[in-house]
Amino acid sequence: MPAASDPAFSLLGVTRAYGAVRAVDSLTLDFARGRTTVLIGSSGCGKSTVLRLLIGLEWPDAGEVRRDGVALRRERMLEERRRVGYVIQEGGLFPHLSVLGNLGLLPRYLGWSAARIRQRAIELAGLVHLDADLLERFPAELSGGQRQRVALMRALMPDPPTLLLDEPLGALDPLVRHGLQDELRAIFRQLGKTVVMVTHDLGEAAFFSDRLVLMRRGRVVQDGSLDDFRRAPADDFVRAFLAAQRGLPEPGP
Amino acid sequence: MRCRFALVWLCLSILARIAMAADTDPQAGPDAAAPVAVTIGSKDFTEAIVLGEIARLAAQRHGVEATHRRGLGGTRILWRALLEGEIDAYAEYTGTLAHELLRDMPADAGIEPLRARLRELGLGMADPLGFDNSYAIGMLEDRAQSLDIESISDLAAHPGLRIALSNEFMDRADGWPGLKAAYRLPMDARGMDHALAYRAIATGAVDAIDLYSTDAEIAHHGLRVLDDDRRHFPRYHAVFLFRLDLGQRAPDFVAALGDLAGTISASGMRAMNKAVKIDGEPEARVAGRFLRIEPGAGGRASGPGLLEYTLQHLALVGVSLSLAILLAVPLGVLAARHRRLGQLVLGLVGILQTVPSLALFVFMIPLFGIGATPAIAALFLYSLLPIVRNTHAGLVGIEASLRESAAALGLPARVRLRRVELPLALRSILAGVKIAAVINVGTATLGALIGAGGYGQPILTGIRLDDIGLIMRGAVPAALLALAIQGVFELLERVLTPRGLRLPPAS
Repeated sequence: MPAASDPAFSLLGVTRAYGAVRAVDSLTLDFARGRTTVLIGSSGCGKSTVLRLLIGLEWPDAGEVRRDGVALRRERMLEERRRVGYVIQEGGLFPHLSVLGNLGLLPRYLGWSAARIRQRAIELAGLVHLDADLLERFPAELSGGQRQRVALMRALMPDPPTLLLDEPLGALDPLVRHGLQDELRAIFRQLGKTVVMVTHDLGEAAFFSDRLVLMRRGRVVQDGSLDDFRRAPADDFVRAFLAAQRGLPEPGP
Repeated sequence: MRCRFALVWLCLSILARIAMAADTDPQAGPDAAAPVAVTIGSKDFTEAIVLGEIARLAAQRHGVEATHRRGLGGTRILWRALLEGEIDAYAEYTGTLAHELLRDMPADAGIEPLRARLRELGLGMADPLGFDNSYAIGMLEDRAQSLDIESISDLAAHPGLRIALSNEFMDRADGWPGLKAAYRLPMDARGMDHALAYRAIATGAVDAIDLYSTDAEIAHHGLRVLDDDRRHFPRYHAVFLFRLDLGQRAPDFVAALGDLAGTISASGMRAMNKAVKIDGEPEARVAGRFLRIEPGAGGRASGPGLLEYTLQHLALVGVSLSLAILLAVPLGVLAARHRRLGQLVLGLVGILQTVPSLALFVFMIPLFGIGATPAIAALFLYSLLPIVRNTHAGLVGIEASLRESAAALGLPARVRLRRVELPLALRSILAGVKIAAVINVGTATLGALIGAGGYGQPILTGIRLDDIGLIMRGAVPAALLALAIQGVFELLERVLTPRGLRLPPAS
C-alpha cells in the first residue's frame, strides 16, 4: 500500500563502505510515518548501519538520506538527532550519572527546569513500568531489563516523533525479554511513533510488525510480512533464514 | 556534577594561591630585607661560597648592600647568569676562562688579554686574589707509595687503577680528555661529585681523584698530590668577574673587589676551606674573620628552616603542576579528538621528558634567569607528559557505545566533553596529575642548583659539606612530601570520582 504522504525517513541509493566492504550497498528504502518497521538479518548485513545513517552517526558515501522528504545536512544534525530517540543493545547509559541524570542530560541542555525533568521522568517511568524509586539509582545498581527501560525513557524524554532501536532486547534473558516485548509493542501502539527496530530474531520481528525488511550484504533481500516471506520467499537465502529460526508463530489459517 | 567540578577548581586555585604567595617570598634569605644594590653568585663548592661571602662582606664594608646567591651550580650556570645580568659578580679562575668559557683564547693567556676579551662581552675582571687553585690528581699517600707513583706520568704504568673525576672535569677541554691525551693514560675514568669523591678515595673505593689544590681535604685525608710533570694543567688564578655596568651602578663595589686583589694566599684559602668543610664553621663567619669584621646583620646565622624549604618546595611543585594541568588537559583532549595531531602532541611532550632534568633546568636560564621561575618552567614541561598521556588515554578508553549514545542524544561536542567524556576520563586524568606531582617533588630538588631553593638546598649543601645529616634534612622531607601528595591525590580521587563509577559492575 503506497504511503499517503512523504515517508518519515527514506534512503535513496545509499552506499556506505568501510574499506572494500559495503555495509550498505545502493540501498533504497522508505520508513512509513507512525508505523513500526523491523530490519532483520544476520550480523554484518548492514541493518545497524541503516539506523546509524538515519541519525548521522554515519554519512553515505553515495546517495541521500531524507527526513520528511528533505535531505539530512550535517550542520543541522544536532537538531535532527533530538527528533529521534535511539536505544542500543546495552542501553548506552552513562555509568557516572544516576537514572535521573541520564534522563536529564539533554533536557537540561535544552533548558528544562529540574522540576519539569523530574515530572517527565515520573510520567515515563509509569509508561515503561519502572519503579519511580529507581530514579536516584546508578546504572550499575539496575538489572538488565531495568537498564533497557531507562534507555527507552531517555530516548523518549523530548517526546521525539521517531524511535530507533538497535537490538534493544538482545542482551536480556528470555523471560525478561518476553515480558518487555509485550510492553514495548503496547507502548509503540499507544504512542503512535515512527519506529525502526533492528533484530536478528525473526519471531521477535514478526511480533512487532507486519513489515519486515530482510537484509543481506547491505541490500534488501525481501520486504514484506512474515506471511509474504513464507508464501513467496524471494530466494534461497530467505528460505534458509526462515528454516534457521525455531519457534516461529504458526502460519495463519 | 557541577559542584564536583567547582571543587576541583577551588582546590587548584587554592593550591596556586599558596604557591604564588610562597613564590613571592625572597629566595635569597635574610639579605633581601635590605635594599639590594648588587647580587653576587657562587658555584656549588665551598671555596666559591667562601669567596662569595668575602665579596658580600667587603661590599658591605664599602657601604654597598649585596645579596649572595650561594651555590647556584656549575661554571656554565654562573657564566650564563652573569651574562644575562641575573648576577653581577662571581669568583672564577683564569684557567677556566681561557679553556672553557672563552675558547678562542690561548691556553695560558695572561690577565690583560683575558680582560680585553671579557670587555667585549660587557664583563670586567678584578685583579687576581693571590692564590692559584689549579687542578691536580691525588692518591692516598700509602697507596701511591706502594705503587711507587709520584707523578701523573707514573699512572700510565697502572692501567687497572680506578679513577673518579668530578663531572665537570670529565667534560672540560682542559680536563680528562686533555689529560688522558697528554699523558697517554690507558685507563677510563668515572664521573663523580667532587665532595663524594673524597669519601670514595678515603674508603678505598677509588684509587685516584682530581683535586683543587686549595682543597681542605688534601691534608685531612692524607693525599699525595701527583706531580704534573708535563705541565698539562694551566694556572687557575682566582679572580672576581663582574658586569661592567657596575661601574655606574655600584662603583664602590668594584673598588671593594679591587681591594681584595693579592690578599688571599693559597695556604690562607686552604685554611678557610678547612674551617668550613672540616670544622663546620659557617662561611659568613670564616669570611668575616678573614676581613677582620663581624659578619654583621647580613650574615646568615643559620640556614633557612624546614618551613621555608617546604614552602619553597611546595611553590615549585604547586605552581608548575597547576600550570601544567591548565595546558595538558586541553592538549590531551585535542590529542584524543584528532588522531594525527594526537600522535604529534604525545611525541613532542614525550621528547621533553627525555631531556635530562639538569640540562632542562640550565636551558631555562637564558629564558627566565635564575631562581624559582626557570625551575617552575622546567618542572612544568616535565609535568606535561603524564597528564597529556593520561587525559588522552582516559578519553580514548571510553566505550564507543557511550560516546555514540551521547552524540545520538543531539548534544553538542563541548557539552558531551564536559558532561560525559571528562567525567568518565577523570580517574585516568587524576592518576596522571598524581604521577606528575610525585615526580615533580623529586625533580624539584634539582631546582636548588639554579637558585630555586626548596629541599634541594640542604641536600646540595650537605653533599658539598659531606654532611649526611644535612642531606637528610632535605631528602627525608622530600620523600615524606611525595608520600603526602600521593595520599592527598588518592583522597581527591575518592571524593571526585562519581559514585556511579565506584560501584561494582552489575551482573
